[in-house]
Amino acid sequence: MLVRFWGTRGSLPVAQRADAALTKVVRALLIARGRHFADEAEAAEFARSDLEFATYGTFGGATPCVELDAGDESAFVVCDMGSGLREFGVSAVRRCAEGRPRVYHFFLSHLHWDHIMGFPYFRPAQDSGATIVIHSGHPDAEEALRRQQEAISFPVPFEALKAKIEFAVHEPGEPFEAAGLQVSLIRQTHARGSFGYRFEGGGKTVVYSTDAEHKPADMDAEADFEAFFGGADLVISDTMYSLGEAVSLKQDLGHSSNVVAVDLCHAAGARRLALFHHEPGYSDDDIQRMFYETLRYEELVRAGRPQLEVVCAYDGLEVEL
Amino acid sequence: MEWRLRNDEGRLVAAPTGRVDEESWKEFSANLNAAVRDAVAASVPLVIDLSGLEYMTSKGLRALTLAKNEARGAVQIRLAAPNATMRRILSISRYDMLFPVVDSVDSGD
Repeated sequence: MLVRFWGTRGSLPVAQRADAALTKVVRALLIARGRHFADEAEAAEFARSDLEFATYGTFGGATPCVELDAGDESAFVVCDMGSGLREFGVSAVRRCAEGRPRVYHFFLSHLHWDHIMGFPYFRPAQDSGATIVIHSGHPDAEEALRRQQEAISFPVPFEALKAKIEFAVHEPGEPFEAAGLQVSLIRQTHARGSFGYRFEGGGKTVVYSTDAEHKPADMDAEADFEAFFGGADLVISDTMYSLGEAVSLKQDLGHSSNVVAVDLCHAAGARRLALFHHEPGYSDDDIQRMFYETLRYEELVRAGRPQLEVVCAYDGLEVEL
Repeated sequence: MEWRLRNDEGRLVAAPTGRVDEESWKEFSANLNAAVRDAVAASVPLVIDLSGLEYMTSKGLRALTLAKNEARGAVQIRLAAPNATMRRILSISRYDMLFPVVDSVDSGD
């Protein structure tokens, strides 16, 4: 299974400003001072090997959208419809032109704007030969998607979409099969509630758990999350804030921290953690610092366990399981 | 994890030893909240001597938050003498911005 991250930013799409790009170029030029590159490929190789990711790249700014790709014969499986969905749609149209089935299964964590805002720009929704199944733990998912395409918000109404669109509402504790995967849900603490998903198929397990707050007063309940994450090959987890922020200034906003994500994964015996739903106010340097701190924390509290591999999700990241 | 508590020159000093992790956080939290109530009753600050602590995971850190909530601002809770690992964990979690962290039990703010 290949996991593609199309959008990894939380709350609000963001874009790099010109001065941020200039800072990266200046930093790269200074590090490369005195070197000669025969061509762009050699320069790119230098950038990847000698520069930090925050210098030669960017974590991106599209809101949550993650694809689980089980192969060219499979239906598309996509978690959330943030602004990253637009680019996924472009890619999907190209792949369908090469013969991929035009069937899409979406799994919505919840209905807040940053998790559904990409749907009006999802080109396959205009494909009369496409089938779109939208899975959710919220019974009002259809209302949320129709409402954001009302005339006051968007020029193309939901009724004008040509694809066959179905909605499926699911309950935690009632696993189901979709797109060849076994899927289960867990209820999470967030404004109006959110749902995490566990996907199992082809001998691999992926957990998608975003917009989930793990409050100090509810630590007993974390045993349920440790079980839900149990043995996962990849856990994609909300790590929007530091723990200090999450329990003080940002408490009750419904988000988690990098250190809680590491602890849950350790207790669950998960193999890999993807830091996800990055704070929109963070620069690339801020996110990279948080990533390095997470690596260090994992090492400090590992206590004889197998190493939990930690990756920092960015728009365009692909993780092969 | 082991826990010791002593009155010491106008303050209460709590000294956990070992690790605070998913196995021991409940015991740590219960002892800590009881110590907070004792400190509030005596109107003295509570110093948590971290020198014997190997490390603390997020559950231990959040137990500190529960203790701070229990204190409701009536007494100060200070973290003292963390080893290098605990100091790094306090920094990574930004708990060093939520609690005063001092080099030794005898240090002031």
